[in-house]
Amino acid sequence: MDPVDPVTEEKPAFVEPGSPWIAPGHSYGSVSDRIAGVVLGRTRKGWIFGFAIAFFLFLVLNYGITMLFFVGVGKFGINIPVAWAFAITNFVWWIGIGHAGTLISAFLLLMRQKWRTSINRFAEAMTIFAVACAGMFPLIHMGRPWLFYWLFPYPDTMGVWPQFRSPLVWDVFAVSTYFTVSLLFWYVGLVPDLATLRDKAKNKLAKVAYGFFSMGWRGSVKHWRRHEVASLLLAGIATPLVVSVHTVVSFDFTIAIVPGWHSTIFPPYFVAGAIYSGFAMVIMLAIPLRKWFHLEDFITIRHLNNMGKLLLATGMIVTYSYVMEAFMAFYSADKFESYMMLNRMTGPYAIVFWTLIACNIAIPMTFLWSYRIRTNTVALFLIAGVAQVGMWLERFVIIVTSLHRDFVPSSWGQFYPTPTDWEVLFGSLGLFFCLFYLFARLLPSISIFEMRDLVHKTAEEAGVIAGAAE
Amino acid sequence: MNSDQSFMLEQTGNAQRKALGVGVVCLALCVIELVIHPTQFLRSYLFGEVFWLGIGLSCMGILMLHHLVSGRWGFVLRRPLEAAAKTLCWMAIFFIPIIVGMHHLYIWSRPADVAADPVIQQKTFYLNTPFFIARQIVYWVLWILLAYFLNRWSTRQDGGSDPESQRRLRNLSGPGLVIYGFTVTFAGFDWVMSLEPHFFSTIYGMMFTVTEAVGGMAFITIVAYLLSQQEPMSEVIQPSQFHDFGNLLLVFTLLWAYLSFSQYLIIWSGNLQNEIPWYVSRTNRQWAWVALALVIFHFAVPFLLLLQRFITFRKQYLVGVASLLFIMSIFDLFWLMAPAYNPKGPQFHWSDWVALVGLGGIFVAIFVSQLKTKPLVPLHDPTFAGVLQHE
Repeated sequence: MDPVDPVTEEKPAFVEPGSPWIAPGHSYGSVSDRIAGVVLGRTRKGWIFGFAIAFFLFLVLNYGITMLFFVGVGKFGINIPVAWAFAITNFVWWIGIGHAGTLISAFLLLMRQKWRTSINRFAEAMTIFAVACAGMFPLIHMGRPWLFYWLFPYPDTMGVWPQFRSPLVWDVFAVSTYFTVSLLFWYVGLVPDLATLRDKAKNKLAKVAYGFFSMGWRGSVKHWRRHEVASLLLAGIATPLVVSVHTVVSFDFTIAIVPGWHSTIFPPYFVAGAIYSGFAMVIMLAIPLRKWFHLEDFITIRHLNNMGKLLLATGMIVTYSYVMEAFMAFYSADKFESYMMLNRMTGPYAIVFWTLIACNIAIPMTFLWSYRIRTNTVALFLIAGVAQVGMWLERFVIIVTSLHRDFVPSSWGQFYPTPTDWEVLFGSLGLFFCLFYLFARLLPSISIFEMRDLVHKTAEEAGVIAGAAE
Repeated sequence: MNSDQSFMLEQTGNAQRKALGVGVVCLALCVIELVIHPTQFLRSYLFGEVFWLGIGLSCMGILMLHHLVSGRWGFVLRRPLEAAAKTLCWMAIFFIPIIVGMHHLYIWSRPADVAADPVIQQKTFYLNTPFFIARQIVYWVLWILLAYFLNRWSTRQDGGSDPESQRRLRNLSGPGLVIYGFTVTFAGFDWVMSLEPHFFSTIYGMMFTVTEAVGGMAFITIVAYLLSQQEPMSEVIQPSQFHDFGNLLLVFTLLWAYLSFSQYLIIWSGNLQNEIPWYVSRTNRQWAWVALALVIFHFAVPFLLLLQRFITFRKQYLVGVASLLFIMSIFDLFWLMAPAYNPKGPQFHWSDWVALVGLGGIFVAIFVSQLKTKPLVPLHDPTFAGVLQHE
């Protein structure tokens, strides 16, 4: 079928010649059709199958949480001294994954990087779902989750006020701000596309729903101008948040004096690690998405190559941080510090530590230097998966190995995960993928209007519409 | 006029000779101090040497970063950055006095002091004279090799004899930045952090690297301004490029503030006996004023100024901010180093500044001589094909 312009319903005036970031032969109409087709077309069997698995895991999460609330946090394997374990590991892991979306949409927008256009929408969705998963864990880890609002400074009759020196209180503000700004940013970006879907939808319910959420968008110049200003303002607000959230998360540990937690490199190291795992997740979502929904024209091999390079760069910062931690543990001449490192390397959790080194450093940092590996979708997907596991293990190692043997040997202990720990971990993956499957089915995974803009710019640069640009 | 010849630096107003003269005279004055008070001489000399090495090293880092990301900003900065990196080959010679006089500088290199200090005794696996010297040799070999190849392949590109140069430069810069990150970190531990051998901080290397980068970027912005004052560069360097330099300065300033504040907050909150003395000396008595000046003039003022587009687009304003940052990065290094000897307050010894100016004179003389060897813009770089026509 020849592409048809959505506005004039005629054959397109021009067809762009292709650039590094979009395959040749696209017009405004073909871009809109291809992306909106995923949403407005029929539900595919593969989608139902994938969603069913995710939904099953989501039910597992519900079971785990129900039992947890019914019995209490004793259902987790936590004890004294290991009072924090899987739940906090999952929290840090998920919130880390939630970093790439905002980095791509806000920071790369400010940097005027064209290649962000086709990956920003689903990366932002990923951010919101990941932060939602993350936000759940501190709540369910509380003995009395129904009292979570005590964390907010409100004038209550008990005269109780949060301890503002505690980084856990900073977390409440950092994470809720981040979630709000990310959600707003995502929604503002969606509005023009929701209007496109409203106009293209045949189904009455879809027309009403997309129409409601597109808030009367008519695509007038005034609308576009306000949209542009709002996007840039939100990008400006969101960029510092990319750094601040994981910095505050790192303060949860560093502000304490536990060996293995109290380390000055944690803020930049956590931010780099967050972007590392975030990009790994973007790669793991982009590769199946482009394959299943035939979006190879928009998410090109060059995109994957660039994401692979960013994975390499942030992975190198993580590697650097491991080296600094290990070196300083021995250089410090502090027996608790050096024992902490020795215990990680040779103690009861040594296998976890060495798996983490293999997953985060040895495998990705060896292979990602190669252009051939970065542009091979299967290899890149596997490496991103390995790094993702590595990043979860990293948080586990930081949290559990530091707590289980601190200063006084008589209070040392051991942590063993219980079925509830695993249910909640895998269940959170179910929640995340349920949300993501719904997103991929109901909303455009790639920004339609920004791709149209890319088509325009590509054609303009090639001189196809030199006159039209004026 | 787009020929190599027209972009050669010719009118330097004998800057090279003047700089060399100042350098030689100041270093000669320092010899007086060497005779009277060798320890003070070495402290001053180390301060000057670490500062100017930092400029050369950070310029090399920025150069490799440019080869990797190839932004437009690098087009006019590339030759000054290459010249600054090349100074490392000569500045190595000026490092020798530090190795010769290290026993005057570092407590851990004096056996009598080590015997009296059980903490240092446990650090001797790293802090010992032979290993220190071996590390210096490794750093210098790696840095000189990097600076050499970064310049050599760039020269070949100018000759047009090697179409592979661009790819080689990029392939070198990836691993080169990794080497750079680790060597500068450990050099920071060796030269500066080990002045107080009890102190340790995992963020220190990163902080030290960024401290250098602020100075390096400020230096190169000032150089770009001076070059833009005369033909032919006045036509090549556009306000939009100064805006890019301003943004880079802003990024490094923010990073510096972020890393410094992170270290401060974590050590303050931990309040542990092996970490906190480092800040106790640096934030009390007279040193508190230096610390406060750093917060205001190394962060707050430049941060607010660099956010303004009317400043970053006007080179005469931007060079003012860059000069402020350049001067403050000298004070920053002084604040990192000098409290190790004078914990009660800054003692501005004359030789500190004479050594700094002396080594600076030598550095500038080498820098200018290197800058003269190649055209001021990489005309044969395929990445920049057509940049001049567009301007």
